[in-house]
Amino acid sequence: MTWTALIWIYLWLAGMAGGAFLAAKAVGRFSGSKDDSLLRLATWLGLPLAILGVLLLIFELGTPLWFWHLFTQFDFTSPMSMGTWILIVWVILGVTMLATWWLEGKVSQEAAASLASLRKLISRINIFFSAALIAYTGVLLAVSSQSLWAGTILLPALFVVSAVSTGVAALVLAALGLNAIADSGMAEIKLAINQIFGSTEWKTPKEMIVRLAEADAAVIVLEIAVMIGYVIWLATSTAGSDALGVITTGSMAAPFWVGVVLLALLIPFGLDLTIRNKAAEAKGVMMTIVTSSLCVIVGGLILRWVITSGGQL
Amino acid sequence: MAEAILYDSTKCTACRACQVACKQWNELEAEETTNRGTYENPPELSASTWNKIKFTELELNGEFKWIFTRLACMHCEEASCQNVCPTGAISKTDEGFVLIDQKWCIGCGYCVQACPYEVPHKDEHTGTARKCTSCADRTSNDLKPACVTTCPTGALTYGDRSSLLSDAEQRVAALGGSATLYGENELGGLHALYILEDSPEVYGLPAEPQVATKNSIGQWLSGLITAGLITALPFWFIFRRKDQIAVGDANEGGAK
Ligand code: SF4
Ligand code: SF4
Repeated sequence: MTWTALIWIYLWLAGMAGGAFLAAKAVGRFSGSKDDSLLRLATWLGLPLAILGVLLLIFELGTPLWFWHLFTQFDFTSPMSMGTWILIVWVILGVTMLATWWLEGKVSQEAAASLASLRKLISRINIFFSAALIAYTGVLLAVSSQSLWAGTILLPALFVVSAVSTGVAALVLAALGLNAIADSGMAEIKLAINQIFGSTEWKTPKEMIVRLAEADAAVIVLEIAVMIGYVIWLATSTAGSDALGVITTGSMAAPFWVGVVLLALLIPFGLDLTIRNKAAEAKGVMMTIVTSSLCVIVGGLILRWVITSGGQL
Repeated sequence: MAEAILYDSTKCTACRACQVACKQWNELEAEETTNRGTYENPPELSASTWNKIKFTELELNGEFKWIFTRLACMHCEEASCQNVCPTGAISKTDEGFVLIDQKWCIGCGYCVQACPYEVPHKDEHTGTARKCTSCADRTSNDLKPACVTTCPTGALTYGDRSSLLSDAEQRVAALGGSATLYGENELGGLHALYILEDSPEVYGLPAEPQVATKNSIGQWLSGLITAGLITALPFWFIFRRKDQIAVGDANEGGAK
């Protein structure tokens, strides 16, 4: 097998990073809130994930020290070349956004205002690059001669939906983790976090977390639909159904049914249903959300594994 | 001038001298293999096997048949490997042969996934992708590829692609029946041509090979449009009920 674990872990990390950013942007847009701390959390969360992914990717190369050859090309026909540039721009934009937040507290009011509007502009541009980033994780596989990847055009769609789903779940866990720290006595970590987020009592409201979990449930509904479309599309061609057999009945069947269908889709959706119309403060709600988010994240990883490995069998 | 290698399956006795000649000229390691109950060996192309004869046993019109075909780089005119290579390490010679620059390839493995014939392989020792070069180092010095030079039955010939094509057409016509010429138009024209006694599928060759990048635009659109929809619909649906939530307004920080 040419593409091994490092590749599918990377596809998962990059998807989660871009997905979290898009989700945070969408929440800001549709809730109409002026507060952008969720976006700040998404940026802080996504950058390390994406950068870790890139390091794994470089490590997977046959000649890692020659990775810079990638930067000598700009090739529209090669998704890997496009992905390289998308990722670079995405990281630069993200780091710039972090810099504006960091500087904001250190400069005059007017300067802070212009930093905020600069950040707004950059974050808008980054919507496109985040979309391109998560799309590319699917296109990379889909532009190939492996039937499981190239036999339909729904693989990029599937990876995109899963990226947003895992991105939201990661946001939820990160927010809850930070809240727990804020509530705890860990004064030094708390101080560091407050520094990072530029606030004295940085916490994500529970209401918001419930809403995010609801949004993830809605994303999962669409993910189930895309998954069904993907399977049906492949099943209609001979090469496609042979390839599909590897994951539905062949050697990858167990991780597919347990890891993808149950863990990534049905279980978290079911869990999210149980907390519908419950108050955020109600007993067990946060625990349910944590469990469902963990399922989504682990399931997303298994999805990348099943598809990446299954396509090469 | 466009050149090609022509393989006439009807003349091939599967002596596999070409496999050995390829290993010798290109200094490729032998592979340790196991007895799989067939003379076909090694089992598949690899980073150190760039050319191999594939054996197929089948029943054709009630008659038992043992047929052979050659597996090696097809040197496609529309080369999927070249299209997807992110470093530009893959290039085409004037003769139409597709080469991987061993000093530039980073071993990302994309060409391995993209090739419709499963030709390039990642070499663990060099870290690069490797495959048949049509012996570019020989042909540029007026020598024929090693496999062609060594072939004792004349099943392999090398030369100007268009004259090989007309030879092949004559041969296919003479063979009659379901004999086919493979490689004339596939993927914009291959620089490895095949005279087959039957349809390509019988030999395990794809009848309608597709360039890996054929649906690129569709694939990108699938990802990008879905990204748009998935961030618009569910989040609009959940977060539009502004009255019920004061998003993060409890926070002191953030942009004002
Ligand atoms: S057969 Fe494969 S490796 Fe050879 S030129 Fe065509 S796509 Fe490239
Ligand atoms: S393995 Fe080498 S030749 Fe193949 S696509 Fe990657 S850089 Fe190009």
